Amino acid sequence: MKERQFMFATIALILGGMLAIQFETTNNPVVRDTRDLWELRADLEKEKQRQQELNEEFERYSELLNQYKGNGKDEKIQAMEKALGDLKKQAGLTTISGQGIVITIEPFNEELIGVGQPVPKIDPDMLRRLVNELNRYDAKEISIDGQRIVSKTPIREVNGNIYINNEPVSSFPIEIRVLAKDNEKLHQKIIASPAVEEFIRENFLVESKQTAKVILPAFDKDMKVKFMKPAKEET
Amino acid sequence: MWLPVLGLLLGLLLGFMSDIRVPPEYANYLSIAVLAALDTLFGGIRAHLQGSFEDKVFITGFFFNILLAAGLAYLGVHLGIDLYLAAIFAFGVRLFNNIAVIRRLIISKWSDSRKKA
Repeated sequence: MKERQFMFATIALILGGMLAIQFETTNNPVVRDTRDLWELRADLEKEKQRQQELNEEFERYSELLNQYKGNGKDEKIQAMEKALGDLKKQAGLTTISGQGIVITIEPFNEELIGVGQPVPKIDPDMLRRLVNELNRYDAKEISIDGQRIVSKTPIREVNGNIYINNEPVSSFPIEIRVLAKDNEKLHQKIIASPAVEEFIRENFLVESKQTAKVILPAFDKDMKVKFMKPAKEET
Repeated sequence: MWLPVLGLLLGLLLGFMSDIRVPPEYANYLSIAVLAALDTLFGGIRAHLQGSFEDKVFITGFFFNILLAAGLAYLGVHLGIDLYLAAIFAFGVRLFNNIAVIRRLIISKWSDSRKKA
């Protein structure tokens, strides 16, 4: 009898092991790493860059922390004001100027389109795509036709007009001002970008030129914050 | 009674701890093998309750069924027929039968012991 129990136990043990292995296999299967040398290098580079960014961020915050911790009320207030100013600048609530590029969009002249053809229309998707591409080429600040592009800026079409920040875009040419990390590079890239090609396909002439000083207006609407709440301080 | 349960738990624990994983191509075979093993185990329990248990039949049945099921699945893959379905069907039906018989045996035992009391 005892022997039989052991036999059952052994079989149950094997079955349990098999079940567990099968469970593991189906729930998190082995994923093979199929990246080749170049992909690995690119990934490594990416991670290194990320590490650097994180380090920089860490340094910045530890500096800020030191300032907060610093003696005297004034210094604390100063540090807070500086932080607030930085955040406002980041959010696009301040007017900003500097070396940048100006991109103008206007319809081709009549000879190119053909006489009697309707004036081409801009689709908001095209503008959105252009903004995305500008951001991809490291644009820091963007304004379209005097409207600052911030994280919440809507670009949409209402009754055939383009509205940016709920303000209608005035007539052509539309002027896009951009401040970038590397203006030269952005200038080169945007001229050959798919978004600009899309504009040309729709009969628009897109020109980009570098300018010594461009001024970008501040975002002047209310920033409605719907889903954020002040965090409780943890002590 | 508790020894087999303990064995099962120990097996599960070992399996989860060991972090062994089967390559996805072979996961099918393992699932069939698990089904075969389950079937044999329940068959063994039924035989034990009915008093017709035989060690050799049980042990050979366990390994042979596993190999047969996996082999059938393998053959199916190479012939382009889903032969593993046959194994699933056979084992599934038998599993239900066995469990039903076990349930009936346990119920009749239980009512017998209540009548005696």
